[in-house]
Amino acid sequence: MSNKSKFPKIFLWAGSLAIILAIVAAVVIQRAHHSRADLPVYGTVPDFTYVNQDGQPFDQSDLQGKVTVLEFFFTSCQGPCPVMNMRMAELYKQYQSTDAVQFVSISVDPARDSLTALKAYSHRYGVTDHRWNFLRGPLQDVEDLSVKGFKLGGNFPAGHSTRFVLIDRDGRIRGYYRSLDQASLGVLQDHIRLLARARGQT
Amino acid sequence: MEKNTVRRFRRFAVTTVVATYLLIFVGGLVRVSGAGLGCPDWPRCFGRWIPPTSVSQLPATMDASLFNFTLAWIEYINRLVGVTIGILIFITTALAFLNFRREKRILYPSVAALLLVAYQGWQGSQVVSSGLEPFLITVHMVLAFLIVSLLIYVSQQAYYLESPETEARSQYPPEAKKLILGLWGVVIVQIILGTQVRSLIEVAADKFPLFSEGALLNAADPLSYLHGLLGVLVAGLTWYIGDRMLKRSQRPSPLVEYGAKIMMLLVAAQIAVGGILIGFHLPDLMQLYHLWIASLFTGVLLVLYSAVQRKTKVQV
Repeated sequence: MSNKSKFPKIFLWAGSLAIILAIVAAVVIQRAHHSRADLPVYGTVPDFTYVNQDGQPFDQSDLQGKVTVLEFFFTSCQGPCPVMNMRMAELYKQYQSTDAVQFVSISVDPARDSLTALKAYSHRYGVTDHRWNFLRGPLQDVEDLSVKGFKLGGNFPAGHSTRFVLIDRDGRIRGYYRSLDQASLGVLQDHIRLLARARGQT
Repeated sequence: MEKNTVRRFRRFAVTTVVATYLLIFVGGLVRVSGAGLGCPDWPRCFGRWIPPTSVSQLPATMDASLFNFTLAWIEYINRLVGVTIGILIFITTALAFLNFRREKRILYPSVAALLLVAYQGWQGSQVVSSGLEPFLITVHMVLAFLIVSLLIYVSQQAYYLESPETEARSQYPPEAKKLILGLWGVVIVQIILGTQVRSLIEVAADKFPLFSEGALLNAADPLSYLHGLLGVLVAGLTWYIGDRMLKRSQRPSPLVEYGAKIMMLLVAAQIAVGGILIGFHLPDLMQLYHLWIASLFTGVLLVLYSAVQRKTKVQV
């Protein structure tokens, strides 16, 4: 600090430290990116054929070519469903500029959730296009899909899972996220972006 | 006051400054590598004091979707370095309290740094629990700049206590103090602009999640353009002031001489980094260095200002 001749040495040390830090940081950043890109595959979504709120058929082939966020719910649910769908609506709005990401909500109470009820429910969450489908199918089929296909809860309607499921463009399950947890949703957004960007960018 | 005691304290304080700059670097690394939520809880990581190495080690209450081995360890190392710096600042303050109770210029900023670092620890937990709210991240960064500034001030004052004759014979241009203060003001505006550019990019990324980094940078116009323009102004001012300090000072102290040179080098590096950021669509490593160089630059400015201020006092 007080000796002039020390300056070049200190400068050399500082320069070397900056270069070493740059190398370490570059390796860390690259590893972090690779680790995020490496999403597990939990299985393939089994076959199903339901009907959406517009009365159109919707089956597993509609998952092809798009990144899908899927949930189980029912319209008269006063527990977690309103919050779940509020979060889903935020994602729906966020991805309004692209068709690459879609949202699917499957009713676990088809007896009460008529297509009219589903349509009214979709309006409540601001759905104006085909990117968010509310599906209705036979109760046993839906329960099988939830329990056997997605390894989620049964005992419908109240026992349905509050998880969001992330499905890639090939119809493979790539992640489960707690819809009521902000941190988990942050990771979900990161993973949606990753899968949607995997083939070309908007 | 025994000279050895002062020297030991000064060395310890300088070590703490260097370590704090390392922490700012690691903190920036956490941000650019996207590891901010690597540990979703605080202070523990997935309910453990040492992060898990596989999903099977996660407690049943933890969300497995959040677990990423690499990101968890990046964030955990950030916390370890943070705790180490907290201990170093505690020791600095304890030493200041034991040895320099009458030296308010050392004691007060030391205590302030300790209080701020304790607050910073808690604030870091808020950053995590908010799911990385951009404003809270900016506050976290500003606090880090403040803490390191206080520590630099402590180190420099200890140095003056150790070598009271410093600046006794030096002569600086009469306008030096005002110029440095003016530059500091412009740099603060520039840093605020930088945080706003960052926020705009994040808002755009939220709105258009599939946009590339290059497209996102366009979303920050015209603020990013203004930031670049002001950057050139800061560079010009820095070189003007640095050149003036070097050429028109008489017998400048080593702190001022080397401080001016380092300041000029840092601003040149920052301009180069800024150019790479714009030209190569915001590469992560350059984002990290952009922030780090800004923190180093403000530190050097503080050293220069304190040195010229000291000269004024010596003259009085």
